[in-house]
Amino acid sequence: MDRNHPSNWRQLLAFGSAAAVMVAMASVAYRGTVVSTESNRWARHVVQVLGNLQDLVLGLSETESAYHDYIVSGSPSYLESYRASLIKVTTDEAALREATADNPGQATTLTGLATRISEQIGFDETVINLRSATGLDAAATTIRGDTNPRTIVAIEAAVTKMRDEESRLFAMQNEDATRRSHEASAGLIIGTVLEVLIIAAAGWRVHRASSRRHLAEEALRESEMQWRMLVHEVQDYAICMLDLNGQIVTWNEGAERITGYAAAEIIRRNFSCFYGTEDKQKGLPANILRTAIADGRYEGQGTWVRKDGSRFIANVTVTALHDRSGNLQGFSEITRDLSKTEASAAKYRGLLEAAPDAMVVVNEGGAIVLLNVEAERQFGYPRDELLGQQVKNIIPEGFAERLISDGTRSTAEALAQQIGTGIELYGRRKSGGHFPIEIMLSPLESTEGVLITAAIRDISVRKAAEKHLLQMEKRYRGLLEAAPDAMVVVNQAGDVILLNVQAEKQFGYSRDELLGQPVKNIIPEGFAERLIADGLRSAEDASAQQIGMGIELIGRSKTGGNFPIEIMLSPLESTDGILVTSAIRDITTRKRAEAQLLQKVEELNRSNRELEQFAYIASHDLREPLRMVASFMQLLSRRYKGKLDSDADEFIAYAVDGVDRMERLIQDLLSYSRVGAKKGILYETSSELALLQALTNLSNAIHAADAEVTHDPLPSVFGDEVQLTQLFQNLVGNAIKYQNRGTPRVHISVAKSEPGRWTFSIKDNGLGIEPQYFEKIFGMFQRLHRRDEFSGTGIGLAICKRIVERHGGNISVESCPGQGSTFRFALAEGMTTS
Amino acid sequence: MTRQVLLVEDSPGDVRLTQEAFREARRSVQVHVASDGLEAMAFLRRDGTYTNAPRPDLILLDLNLPKMDGREVLARIKGDDRFKTIPTVILTTSESEADIMQSYQLQANCYLSKPVQLESFERLISSINDFWLTMVKLPHQKQDANEAALKGK
Repeated sequence: MDRNHPSNWRQLLAFGSAAAVMVAMASVAYRGTVVSTESNRWARHVVQVLGNLQDLVLGLSETESAYHDYIVSGSPSYLESYRASLIKVTTDEAALREATADNPGQATTLTGLATRISEQIGFDETVINLRSATGLDAAATTIRGDTNPRTIVAIEAAVTKMRDEESRLFAMQNEDATRRSHEASAGLIIGTVLEVLIIAAAGWRVHRASSRRHLAEEALRESEMQWRMLVHEVQDYAICMLDLNGQIVTWNEGAERITGYAAAEIIRRNFSCFYGTEDKQKGLPANILRTAIADGRYEGQGTWVRKDGSRFIANVTVTALHDRSGNLQGFSEITRDLSKTEASAAKYRGLLEAAPDAMVVVNEGGAIVLLNVEAERQFGYPRDELLGQQVKNIIPEGFAERLISDGTRSTAEALAQQIGTGIELYGRRKSGGHFPIEIMLSPLESTEGVLITAAIRDISVRKAAEKHLLQMEKRYRGLLEAAPDAMVVVNQAGDVILLNVQAEKQFGYSRDELLGQPVKNIIPEGFAERLIADGLRSAEDASAQQIGMGIELIGRSKTGGNFPIEIMLSPLESTDGILVTSAIRDITTRKRAEAQLLQKVEELNRSNRELEQFAYIASHDLREPLRMVASFMQLLSRRYKGKLDSDADEFIAYAVDGVDRMERLIQDLLSYSRVGAKKGILYETSSELALLQALTNLSNAIHAADAEVTHDPLPSVFGDEVQLTQLFQNLVGNAIKYQNRGTPRVHISVAKSEPGRWTFSIKDNGLGIEPQYFEKIFGMFQRLHRRDEFSGTGIGLAICKRIVERHGGNISVESCPGQGSTFRFALAEGMTTS
Repeated sequence: MTRQVLLVEDSPGDVRLTQEAFREARRSVQVHVASDGLEAMAFLRRDGTYTNAPRPDLILLDLNLPKMDGREVLARIKGDDRFKTIPTVILTTSESEADIMQSYQLQANCYLSKPVQLESFERLISSINDFWLTMVKLPHQKQDANEAALKGK
């Protein structure tokens, strides 16, 4: 099984050394021939035969080497060198035959050798063909199956035999020469021995190299198997190898599936069988190979014919294959069935047509290559008028260019930027009208380069709605800004999302500083939460409880100052959920006014109380010293009357009179202040009893004036008995006092002026009062008469007015000077009164 | 028999007027004067200079007094078993309802307001003399004092 395959430089070196030895031997032999012409001729003959023999051996070695290299690599260059070596072997053989023609024994041996050689060549050829046709495996199998003992050993044996024969002849016929050229012979022998040694060493080396190559072969076979499987299993592409003439050398599963040919049927056939008659006539297959050789690669579409005669659109790529030294070795051919793609495209066309948007596919040149019905409808063109036209016919120039450049960017870029984001442009109808559109682009890699699929939506309706909304928004904003209160709209998270100028002013923030900020920045925490919670309750709850009802809180301005605010909330349903609209009014001024008012009222009340207290205390404490003056004046006048002179008596009289008036004044002031100080509750009181008590108190005066005081039966009223007594006493007292010198007549009557109220009238026949004094007489210290006419403090009627007012009524007078006066006042009727 | 009256009054004018009025009433009345509340109490307890002070048959008490005012003096008199049987009459210029009410609550024997007019005042003192120093029956002075002394021990 083992063969000697000199193949690397070491072997070449070995054989080189052998050759060198041969040359040395030749020179030795030549030196021998110089000694004898005969021996010279023989020597030349022997040298020639041995040289020829050696050439033959070398040629055989080369042949075997090329043969093995081809088998392993399959590279045609090895096949070439194989063939070249083969020719050389034939030549060497012929030369040897000629040289040994004179020796029948050598000729016989040579014939045997030639037979061995031709047998070996025959076997090698078979393997080579197998390798070419079906690959390494088959060749390897054949090599393994070879049991014929054709070995280089046999060849070498023949060579040795021939060489020995020549040596024997040489020795036999040139004993003398041999003797004489002992040195030469010895040299020859030594050379021969050397050569044998070299050949043996070379043989051993070859053997070793062969073992190594065998392992490499195994690895190569493994790797090649994997590649072959890979290529073989490819389903969608027909992949095959062509030789230099276009004959098919390999065939994969995809090729079988696409063309219908099995590997066995197609191997060794020319690839032109895939083309129709007309293409063949045009020389298309040959042109394809030429193009591949010239350009290194051919790519194109064509119509292929299947085994069953059916045709399909094929995309064909043919690549020229070169070895390492650049020699053309054959071609690879990869073919794709485009008709299948076309069929699936038809399916998607249905989808395209069903799309609600206008769909337009544009190539890199900006030409429309595909569109759907909706696109026809939107732009108003029939399909034929748009196909192949520039897209800028329907999308304004500039936009179209941008659209294409956008669309042809790398897919990754496009994905990052465009998916989901529409570009808003204007579309142009055939009629020339423009309409707003939204375009979504996506790049699509295809055999025709990058295509841009544009989904175009007519958004005129949406635009109109947006415009309307914008207008509404503007109006709403106008309203918002015109509001006198700060308006703040807050979302459910409590962030401010809208506010007006007043809000900026009130809180001292600029709009930007508040927008998106939590509302609790301006309304103290806790309150803000309640506010939002309140605002978010159901609209029904909220309107039931809050509309028209302000909540008073504390606002916080940017400077950190707090100020009182009143907030009115109303929920507002929006697309962002329920929003809370709050109208916020700064009530600092109102609060301050309220506080001031409250303070004033308090001050007034205190002042009033103090005044009453003062009047009471004053009148009370004034009496102490007055009493001293009065008492001691009277004591003086009593004990010393007539004992002093008349002037002293007169002075004492004035002093006593002054004390009297002072005493009355104080008494009246005390009464007046008591009416105010006594915030008594009113009880059911008999007005008649009060009057009778008053008349009793006045009995001295009545008696002195001889007055007639009459009265109607008087009703029960709500009042203070003491004060009512005082009231009657003052009024009746006045009626008696202010009189001409006649009989004073006083009548007290009562009438129901309105439901629930009694009006009392005290009528006299006195002096009467002029109308201009009707109001004045009820004021403090107001007097109409001189002191020497009528004594009085000017407080009496003021007390009356105060008492009536304390009873919830008012007092008035009706009078004509000289005809008497009538004083009237009304009191609430008591329950027991009929 | 001379009656002992303790007049508690800070106004010398009033003291004189009262003394004059009692003189007018022509009755043997000895008027002792205490010009403030503390003096009044010292007189009753016979403290210091008042060791020989008599037990009064009547106390005329003004309300507005320096140091210890009439209301407190009244409360102490009526709160002390030795003195509470002594008729104590409030004689003051105040006509305040509150003062009247408070005095009776503190068990004043009666409340009188000083009139401005001299004659009225003389009539008032005369009435006091007639009623409190003549008509009224009081517990026996000595027995009363002994009982009080016993209780005091």
